[in-house]
Amino acid sequence: MNPLMGETVSLLPALAFLLPVLAGVLALGGIWYGRRYCQAVALAGALVPLVLGVIMGGQAVGGLVVTAWGNELRVDALSALMVGVIGAIGLVAVFYSLRYVEMPEFQQRVGVVKVERRVPIFYALLLWFLGTMVWGCVTNNIIMLWVAVEATTLTSGLLVAFFWDRRALEAGYKYLMLLTIGITFALVGCVLTYASAAATGALDGRQALLISEVRRVAGLMPPGPALLAAALLLVGFGTKAGIAPFHLWLPDAHAEAPTPVSVLLSGVMIKMALYALARTVGIFLPTWPALAVFAVALGVFTMVVGIVLALGQDDLKRLFAFSSVSQIGYVLAGVGLGTYLGTYGGLFHLLNHAIFKALLFMCAGALIYATGRRRISELGGLARQMPITAICFLVGALAISGFPPFNGFWSKLTVYLALVNAGLWWAAIIAAATSVLTMVALVRPAYQVFWAAPGSGAAVQKVREVPALLWLPMAVLAAACLVLGLWPQLAYPLLDRAAQVLAVLGG
Amino acid sequence: MSPQLNADLIRTLSMTLLITTVAAVEVRNLRLAAGAYCVQALLIVGLLTSFAAANPPLYWWAGTAFLTKAVLTPAFLFGYIRRTHATELKPLIGFAPSVIVAAVLMVVFYRLTHTHASLLAATTLAGEEVYRTNLAVGTTVFVMGLYAVLTRRDAMKTVIGLCLLENGVHLSLVSLVPGLPETALFGVATEVVITVFLLLYVIAGVYQQFGTTDTLKMSELRG
Repeated sequence: MNPLMGETVSLLPALAFLLPVLAGVLALGGIWYGRRYCQAVALAGALVPLVLGVIMGGQAVGGLVVTAWGNELRVDALSALMVGVIGAIGLVAVFYSLRYVEMPEFQQRVGVVKVERRVPIFYALLLWFLGTMVWGCVTNNIIMLWVAVEATTLTSGLLVAFFWDRRALEAGYKYLMLLTIGITFALVGCVLTYASAAATGALDGRQALLISEVRRVAGLMPPGPALLAAALLLVGFGTKAGIAPFHLWLPDAHAEAPTPVSVLLSGVMIKMALYALARTVGIFLPTWPALAVFAVALGVFTMVVGIVLALGQDDLKRLFAFSSVSQIGYVLAGVGLGTYLGTYGGLFHLLNHAIFKALLFMCAGALIYATGRRRISELGGLARQMPITAICFLVGALAISGFPPFNGFWSKLTVYLALVNAGLWWAAIIAAATSVLTMVALVRPAYQVFWAAPGSGAAVQKVREVPALLWLPMAVLAAACLVLGLWPQLAYPLLDRAAQVLAVLGG
Repeated sequence: MSPQLNADLIRTLSMTLLITTVAAVEVRNLRLAAGAYCVQALLIVGLLTSFAAANPPLYWWAGTAFLTKAVLTPAFLFGYIRRTHATELKPLIGFAPSVIVAAVLMVVFYRLTHTHASLLAATTLAGEEVYRTNLAVGTTVFVMGLYAVLTRRDAMKTVIGLCLLENGVHLSLVSLVPGLPETALFGVATEVVITVFLLLYVIAGVYQQFGTTDTLKMSELRG
C-alpha cells in the first residue's frame, strides 16, 4: 500500500453490493405490485453503487482506503473507479430499460401474456447482476473474488437467455458453459495463489486470502506454482474478459441479450473481469516483469482478432460485440504493461469504452425499436427520421475509433505513448493501425445506416425518432464522450490514484 | 505423512474414484453416468473424512461435499434426465477410441502430477504421500472432465464433464490448501451447485425449443 494512504473502516463497501441485491429481491414484488413498482425499485437499487462509488472515490482521491469486515472488503481508488463505472452504466442501462421493456420486440419475444410476470424477474436479475459485479470489485478475498465473478456469470446467464427462444437459449447455454469452464481455471489459479502465499510463512491462513496482503509476499512465493497460478488466472479471468482466443462466447451473448443487458455485458462486465485479472495477475508482475510483455502481446492480438472479425459483420449488435473484444485488447495492453502511463491509459480507456460502447448498444436498441431491424444491409437513410440516434451513433463510432475531440482519442493516445515509452514500438504501431480499422468497422456502418441511400434489402417505412426515455440516456453518454474528450483532466484525480495501485513497474 | 491417516484406505478410495470418472465419461446411459457421478461424490466424501483424521476441519468439507455433490447435484441430474432423455447422443469420438484416449490421458496426467507435484504444490506437505497421490487423482479427474466437455455433443454429458472438473479441483484442495477456511470452501461449493442447476435449467429449455440437446445442432447464431 502507498505509505501516504490511510485506512478508514466503513460499511459503505458492503452496502454498495448488498443494497442492489436486496433491491433485486424487492423488485420481484413487481409480480404483485406491477411494473412501475419494480422499475422504481430498480432505479433506486442501481443508484446505490453510483452514489457510494462517488463517495468512496472522493475518499480515495483524498488518500483513504475504505475497508470493512476485517479487511475482507477493501476499496482503494481502483475499486472505487470500478464501482463508480458499474454504478453509472448500471443506472443508465436501467433508465434505458424503462421504455425498452415496452417495445414490441421485447413483448413479442417474451410473450405478451407472460410479460407482466417476467419483467420483475428481469429487473431482479439485472440488480443481482449489478450487485455481484460490485461485490467482485470491493472484495479483498481472492477466493471470494472468484465466487463473485462466477456469480456475475450466473445472474447474467439467465439474462442472456431471458427471451427463452432458440437464439437466446443457444446464446445462454454457450455463455454459461464456456464461461464456467474458463472460470474454473481461474479457481485453480486463485487456490494456487493462496497456497503459494501461505507457503511463504510470512502470512497466516486468513491473511493469505487477502489480495492486499498477498501482494506484499509475491517475491517470496515458489516460482513454479506462482507462475502456473498466473497462467491459470490469465486463462480463467481472460475468458470472462473476452480476451482472444478465449472470446468465443462473447459475440453470441452480447448480441442476443436484451439491449440493456448488452450494455452491461459490453460496458462493464468484461471490464470487471479484466479488473479481476489485473488484481490477481498483477500480484506477480513485480517479480516476473516478463509477464508484462506477454500481456501486451495478448492485448495486441486481441485488438487485431476482434476488429478483423468485426469488419465482416452485418448484424449491428454482433459488430459491436466483436468491437468490444478489440477494445478490451487496448485496456489489457495498457494495464498489462504495468507502468504508470500504461495503467493510466488502460484504465482511462476502460472508463471511456464503458461509455461509448454502452452508447453504441443503446443506439442499436433504438434502431431495433424504431425499425424492428438490426442488419446494416436492411437499414439506410435514417438520419432525417432519427436525427438524435444518428448523432449519438456517430459520436460513439468516432469516439471508439480514437477520433479527436472525443474521449477515446486521449485514452488510446496514452496507451500508444505508454507502449512507445516501454520500447514496444511494434505494439504501438499495431494498436494505431487497429484504430484505423476500427474507424472503418464503426464509422462506415454509421454512414450506411443513417446517411447512405437505403440498400436493396432495406424495407423500412414510416420510421420515427425513439421516445425521450430511450434517447435521453444516449444523449447523456454522447455528451460524456465529448466532455471527457474536451476536458480529459476531469477524470485525472481518480484515474491517477487508481493507476498508482496497478503501476508496479517503472517507466 | 501423518501416522493418523489410513493410507491404504485413501489409495483404495482414490483408485475407485478414477474408475467412476471413466464410467461417468464413457457410459452412454445417462442414468448410469449420473449414478457413477453420485458414487464418485460419495467417494470424495469418504476421502475427505479419511483426511480429516489428521486435519479435523476437513469434516466440514466432507459435510459440504455430501450435501452439494452427493445429494443436490445428483438430484438435479436425475430430475433433468426424467424430464428429457436417458441415452446420451453419440459422442464425437467412438467408444473404443474414446476409452483408449481416456486411458492415455489418465496415465499421462497421473504420472506427470505424481512425479512433478512440486510444480503444482507450494508446500512440502503436498509432495508427501498420500497427499501427492490425492493431488495426482484430483488433476486426473480435472483433465477427464475437460476431455468430456470437449468431446461430448450431448449437453447433459458436458454438464457431467463440468461436474468432474469441479470435483477434480475440490479434491486437489485437500493437498494444496488444507487450511482453506470453511467459509471460502462453502462459497465455492454453493456456487458450483447453483451453476449445475442453472445449466440444467437452460438445457431443459434448449430441449423444449430444439427438440434435442445436441450442441452441434445449436447453430442459429453462426456468423
